[in-house]
Parts: sequence; structure tokens; C-alpha cells
Amino acid sequence: MGTKKQKINKGSPDRVLETKRKRLLFLARTEPRKMVLYPLVVFLLALLILAFHPPEKGIDLKGGVVITVYHVSASPDELESYVKEKTGINVRAEEFKDPVTGLSGIRLYAPAGSDYGKISDAIQSKYKGADIIPRVVDPTFGKIAQRQGIKAIIYAFLGMAVVVFLFFRDPVPSATIIFSAFSDMVIALAMMSVLGIELTTATIAALLMLIGYTVDSNILLTTRLLRRKEDTVEDAYLSAVSTGFTMSTTTLGALVILWLVSTSEVIDNIAIVLIFGLLADFMNTWIFNAGVLRWYIASPYKFSIKLRRGK
Amino acid sequence: MARKKGVKALILNWRVLLLILFLIGSIASISIRGLTYGIDIGGGVALVAEPEKSVSKDTLNGIITSLQNRLNTFGIKDIKIEAQHDPETGRSLIVVKVANVTLDEANQIKDLIESQGVLYMEFNGVVFATGTDVTVHSSNYGLNLQECPTCWYVGFELSEKAQERFKEIAAGKIGWPVDIYLDPPVNSLLVVSPRVYNEMQDFLGEPEPGTGTPKPLVQRISEAFNITVVEYSNQTAEDIVENATALGKDKIILADVPKELYSEVKNLIVSKNLDLRVSYYTPQQGEDLKDFVERVLNLYGPYILRFDPAKGGNTGLQLSGSAPTKEDALQEAKKIYSVLRSGSLTVKLHVVNEEYISPTLGASFKKQAVIAGIGALIAVLLIVYLHYRRWKIAIPVASTSLFEVIIILGIAALIRWNLDLPSIAGIIAAIGTGVDQQIVITDELLGGTSGGVTRRMSTLRRMARAFFVIFASAATTVVAMSFLLVYFVGTLKGFAVTTILGVLIGVLITRPAYAEIAKYLLSLE
Repeated sequence: MGTKKQKINKGSPDRVLETKRKRLLFLARTEPRKMVLYPLVVFLLALLILAFHPPEKGIDLKGGVVITVYHVSASPDELESYVKEKTGINVRAEEFKDPVTGLSGIRLYAPAGSDYGKISDAIQSKYKGADIIPRVVDPTFGKIAQRQGIKAIIYAFLGMAVVVFLFFRDPVPSATIIFSAFSDMVIALAMMSVLGIELTTATIAALLMLIGYTVDSNILLTTRLLRRKEDTVEDAYLSAVSTGFTMSTTTLGALVILWLVSTSEVIDNIAIVLIFGLLADFMNTWIFNAGVLRWYIASPYKFSIKLRRGK
Repeated sequence: MARKKGVKALILNWRVLLLILFLIGSIASISIRGLTYGIDIGGGVALVAEPEKSVSKDTLNGIITSLQNRLNTFGIKDIKIEAQHDPETGRSLIVVKVANVTLDEANQIKDLIESQGVLYMEFNGVVFATGTDVTVHSSNYGLNLQECPTCWYVGFELSEKAQERFKEIAAGKIGWPVDIYLDPPVNSLLVVSPRVYNEMQDFLGEPEPGTGTPKPLVQRISEAFNITVVEYSNQTAEDIVENATALGKDKIILADVPKELYSEVKNLIVSKNLDLRVSYYTPQQGEDLKDFVERVLNLYGPYILRFDPAKGGNTGLQLSGSAPTKEDALQEAKKIYSVLRSGSLTVKLHVVNEEYISPTLGASFKKQAVIAGIGALIAVLLIVYLHYRRWKIAIPVASTSLFEVIIILGIAALIRWNLDLPSIAGIIAAIGTGVDQQIVITDELLGGTSGGVTRRMSTLRRMARAFFVIFASAATTVVAMSFLLVYFVGTLKGFAVTTILGVLIGVLITRPAYAEIAKYLLSLE
């Protein structure tokens, strides 16, 4: 993404800011055409990935029975064959382990409609201290959740688009923001399918969060460039991108910590989706959107820019 | 001295004052009201059930009150039942959330929801009416003030057939007990402690002299429902299971016996692969034995027969009783009303979604969320410091985020919002955008004081631009999330609520206060 971690730099605080700007200068010097082109290529690649290999749907969208077992002294294969023999239900066992906390357990996947009570009774009778967490979703309910998830994203997206347009009242910058947000989501989804992260209610929540973050950085950039008070576009861009760089690294840092510390699968998945979404956002805002805006301001159409409060 | 004055002015600035007030209020709210947690954090079971066919709102409410009554057999636990409506398909869903239950209890709750509530009226060991025989007219219940100030009644009608039978068996038996059951444990072996066994010999009503003696409860349920009651005298689990299989029972109920017996019986059934269910009851604190027996059997009453059925005409019947206060009386009447009605609710429920989290695991989630939150906050502190090399900026940024979390939690406590995982994700989202916006403010402030950029703008103008960005993104997030709140039935509601809350608190309270604090601290340079 072209961002380098800042080196320790002794000197006055203001010089710290200046060095940061200098480091980001290469972005300001890139041709607008290239700035638009590269992110578009990434976007198309992500679309291709999604077309051929969309992310798996999780149990809460697909339906089925998953039984998570903690504190058992058995290998997944042992547990699988024991449960099969005892209950006659065709289960599939998978081990999982959290790399940081070392908490481990086994997940048993059973076909939708299986009686999980039988499975948990069987496990409990052999492994006394087992902590068993069943999750049962009927396929029809999965469909409801799926439809609602899609609806949620579409509505949130449309709402965002309308508000952005009302704020800027200018089709080109508004459309660029909306496209950036869309591209962020597509790239995050593509990364999910590459990393094998399932689409669940939690990851849908993460995609929704992404809308919030995207809008933040894009509005910052657009405002700074269109309501420019600095001498040149380059200056305005530099000051905005340095703010944006601070914003992204801070949020990314917090998310990485969140991902490292948490053992909850839900929080882990939300964190990962957001991390990739924010990386995509850095590219889409500070390279793609900036490229479009620089071209737009330099173009003869720039006189059509109407400011809401044109002070 | 001048510096001291500055601090005072800063604290008395209304924006900072507002933040301080909200902080104090939130801490008070959290410590007084406490935080409430969703099932996925607090532990418990969440079930979503769908009626087999679409039902009217009235029927749906009937189903819910009936479920509430039937679930009360698990004792006084935190049970929440609500109806949700999918506006698009018009389907109704019933969400049942019960906090702090064991996996076995969760299983039983699911079974109960899926089984239809069956109402029985029994007299001296004979079932004379079931749910379909009973008709309850809407709102035919209330206080019977002619009788006494705290007397209640519920009116109902019996089918002709049931009335005939009742006349036959109950003629002249004034003062005898009439039992009403909703979901009694039909065809089961009931193993009880001696004191419960003794209690069950009672339940005789107040028979008038000369009408004979009613059968004791033990005998009545044996004849009516094939429930065999056995007194516990150190039988082994093997004895009990053998007994149950020999009698051809489908269920073993253990009440007020050592808990180990329960797990022994259960393990035995699993290892022998028997088709038997087991459940375990123990009296709760302050519960008297009579109430306990009623809870185990799902018995309402017994009610006392006050008239001679052989002499009455075809008029409606009435159940009545009294309670210590008017409110209690009305509550009791309402409960019996819904019990009688539930017999005629013929809609079957199907559980479509079930989520169970054990209380211990829930507690570890909670601890982790706190650690992760603190870790993220420290990360923010350090990274902001690395960027600006000033603690003067890093500390206010991180602590403002902390304040924001406290205020969100304070309001959550105030409105009794159940914090579940999506809600926590929402808080993270709000804090993340919050930090971003504080950085926007900081950079605008720094831009005005340092070189590199021309100083064509006053600080005020720069602040105005920063707040334009902040308002624009806040408005966008709030609008996007409001759609979720309005159009959503599912679990993402918590996410929307906390995000909106966080964004609003940010824009109205913490961001303006942070701007003042940062302005002050940077002006010291």
C-alpha cells in the first residue's frame, strides 16, 4: 500500500510532522491517471476472485448444527468416531486453537436437523469436564438472516450515498466516495474468501463498520481538497494524507491488538475483515479518490463545483 | 498563575463541563443500575421459534403468555420472550432468551417450546376435560369485589361432553379438589424425597363432612396420567432406571434428591442407549414444598369445588381465589386465564435457531472483551504518541476514547440495553471513528500553529472545517445505521444501537470537549 512505518525521529514535534509529509510526498507526485488506474485493477481482481470463489456462508446464514467442545482429552478423530458409533449421526470433527491464549477445542459439524441433545449427552457421559456449546440453525432461519444481512448492507449503503451526496451536492466527488466504499467492501469480501473467513452475521457487521470508516477518510479528503485553504492542491493533499495516514495506522494498530488478544472467533473475524477493509480504504481514499479529485480540480469542469457553504 | 487560571477556565468551559457531567452520570448509572449482558456474553440460551402457520397478533400474544407460564416450571429464572415481526414476509418469530441455564435445562426449554401445551382438568383421578373442551372468552377474568377486595375470578365454559362427565364423577362432592394441569409429565417415574412424598399425600381440598374422602394427589396423578411416584430411600441409579423400563415409562423425574443421582441416572441411560428422558428439580430458596410439587407437576390449583355440579344448569363455570393484595390477585387471575386459554392454542412452534453459551464461557468472553479493549486503548495511546511525539496529544486522545466507552456503557445501563457481541462490535466501531475524528481535529489545530502550511486560516476556521468533516461522517453513519434499526429483526440491532449511540455521544459531547482540551494544551507551547 506504499506506506512505510515511521522511523524514530528525534527533534521538535513539528519536524516530525514535516518528515511525515515528506515521506508521503511521492504520493502527491504520482500522476492522477496512475492513481486511478492501480486501485481499479485491484478492484477488478477482487471482483474476479468473488465471481469464482465467493466466501463460504457460516452456519448462521446456511443452517446446520455445530457443537463446540472445550476441555476434552481426545483427538478430533477419536471424538468423531466415538460420536458416530454412539449416536449414529454422521459428524465431522475439526480442531481449533487460538495461537495466543492457547485455548483449544473441537468443533463437530452435523447435518441440519440432527438431534444435538443426543450428541452432547454422549460426549458428557464419556468426558466429564467437557464444556459443550451447541449452535443450531434451521436452514429456513438461515435464509431469513441472509436476506436481512443483504438488505442491511444495501440500505446502509444507500443511506450513506444519499447523505454524502447531500453534503457535497456535486456528482463527481460524491460518486467517487460511494465507489470507494463499494470497492473497499468488495476487496474485504475477496480477502475473506482468500483467507477462508466465513460470511456470518458478525462479518456482515464488520462490513457495515467499514462503511463508517470509509466515509470518514473520504469525506476528510474531499473536504480538504474542495474547501481548500492551502496555497496549492499538493499542499492540501499532503496535509490531508498525513492526517489520513495517522488515522489509518492508529485504527489498524488497535485492530491488530484486538485480534491478537481476543479468543472469541466473532471478534477475531470482525478484526480481520476490518484490517483488510482499512488497508483497501487507504488505497481507495488516498490514491484512487485523490487521483480522481486532482484530475477533477484541474479539469475545466472544476467551475461547476458548488460548495454547500461557500465561505 | 496565569496557567492555573487557564486550567480553571478550561474546566468551566461548557463543553468540558458537559463531558464531566456525562462522565459522572455514566459512572453513577453503571454502578447503580449495573450492566446487563446478552446471552452470548452472560451465558444462557437464545431460541428463535416460528409458528407453524401465520397467526394473528392476538394469538401470538396468547402463545407468548402461555409459554411464559409453562417456562416458569424451571423456577424463577431470567426469562425474556418477545415477538418479532418480519415486515417483508409478514412472518412472526418468537424469541426466547433464558439467562444462566445448564445445557440440560436448555434442552428441556427447547422441548417445551416445541411441544404443544396440553391442558387437563382432573377430578379424583379422572381427566374430565382437556384443552379443546375449554372455552375462555376474551378478557373474562378480573377481581370479584363482591366476594372480597382481593378476590379474583376467571370464567370459562366446558363442552357438553365434559360437563356430563364432570356431573357424573363430581356429583355432591362439595369441597373436593379440582386439579388443572398444563403439560403434566405424563407416563413418568417420579422419584422424590420423603418430605416431598409426604406432602404429596395431601392436596385433599376441604371436603365437606359426609361426602367421603378424596384420593391423595399421588394416587390421582397415577390414575389420571400414569405418573408413578416413588419415595427415595437410597435406591441406586440402576434400580431407578430398571424400575422405569419395567414400568414402560418415557421419563424419569428426580425431585429433591441428591444431585449426583441425576448424573448417574443420566449416564446410565446414555451408556445403555435407552429411550428415556431425565429431569431434575430442586426446591428453590424460600419455595415451600407445596409450591415445589405444583411446579414439578405443572399443577395449577387445586381448586375447591364450591357447588354441586349435578344441580347446576348449563351456565359458565368460574375459578376463583384470593391473594394478599389486589395486584397479586389480578396477576393470578391473568395467569390462570392464560393457562386456560393456552389449551386452545393449537399452533405448533418450531425452533429455528438455537444458541447456547455456558455461563463459565460467557464469563471468559467478558473478561477477554475487557482485556482486548484495554489493549486496543493502549495501542491507540502509543501509536498517537509515535505520530506526534507529544504526550499532550496522545493522553487526551486515548482518555477521550475511554470516556466515550464509559458514557456509552452508562447510557446502555440506563436504558437497560443487553450488551451482546454485536453491541460490543458497535462500541469498537464508534471508538474507532472517534479516534479518527480526534486526529482530524488535532491536525487542523497543528496545521494552524506550525509551518509547512500557510496560515491563511484562523484556528476558528480550521475548527469549522474539522467539524464539517466530523458532522458529515457522523450523519452518514447515523443514517446508514438507522436503516438497520428500523428494518431489522435479527441480531444486528445491538450493533446499530451502540454505533448510533457512540457517534451521537462523540459529536455532541466528547469531540467538542476534546477540541477545547487540545486547543488549551497546544496553546501552552
